[in-house]
Amino acid sequence: MSMKGGFKRKNKASEEIPSSSLADIAFLLLIFFMVTTVFQRDKDRRIEWTEAEAAQKIDEKQKNILNIWMERDGAIFINDQEYQMAEVSQVVGPLYAASDRALVISIRGDREVPYRFMDQVQKELVAAGVVRVVFATQLEQSMQRERR
Amino acid sequence: MAVINNKKSRVGGEVPMSSTADIAFLLLIFFLVTTTFPKDKGLAIVLPEEAEEVQVSQKNILHLIIQANGLVDVKRGESQQVQTMRAAEIESLWRQEVAANPNLIAAVKTDPTAPYKFMVDVLDALHSANAERISLQVLEN
Repeated sequence: MSMKGGFKRKNKASEEIPSSSLADIAFLLLIFFMVTTVFQRDKDRRIEWTEAEAAQKIDEKQKNILNIWMERDGAIFINDQEYQMAEVSQVVGPLYAASDRALVISIRGDREVPYRFMDQVQKELVAAGVVRVVFATQLEQSMQRERR
Repeated sequence: MAVINNKKSRVGGEVPMSSTADIAFLLLIFFLVTTTFPKDKGLAIVLPEEAEEVQVSQKNILHLIIQANGLVDVKRGESQQVQTMRAAEIESLWRQEVAANPNLIAAVKTDPTAPYKFMVDVLDALHSANAERISLQVLEN
């Protein structure tokens, strides 16, 4: 009698899929992807942005965009590291070659930086063989423009 | 009566666990779909290749000379006539000029001491006017 009863109970348990652990699996997946996702991005430098009305989104994958930061005093930062002006082409050149010539350089200059530094950077980029360059700006609203 | 009472209390006794998975997946999918990474914006230019010198006849060049104070001197080709204007006025100027001469090239020459923002203002005006042939140079004294 007791054997029969035990068998019956077992059969009943296997009838439905245990769904209480599905939530744990979902959360495990969620946490796994949250932990393993790395955004390869350099830290933002503190600059005052320039504004432009015609600014367009950079049509390139994030990993193919290299930021060159230029602070007000002409200090240059690439990938969180400071470089001298003359080093820029040596730094950018190998990165450009490694990206299969798809790299887009995003120049993020402070609005007050004297133009001669910008000109030197451009000459360095030309020496590195870079073709596509974007002057990163913030979008200017036309309202703001009229007020100026 | 006693039997009905017993059944009712058992139903309310446990939280339904089978739908938590659905809620979790729904959250997961919701955030996957709604997450947008802010794309960088900017004014794109194409740099010339090294040692690439293109001879352009003077009549196809519009010189835009940005002074240190942000005013722009406009000079057409070989003529010595200089017109001074603000960066915002360049958009309409370019539209007029390019309608007269479709081969026009904008040569933006910036004073080395001029703040970068003035060059961006002029570049912005040229981009707004759909100018494609732009050359960036530094003003040599």
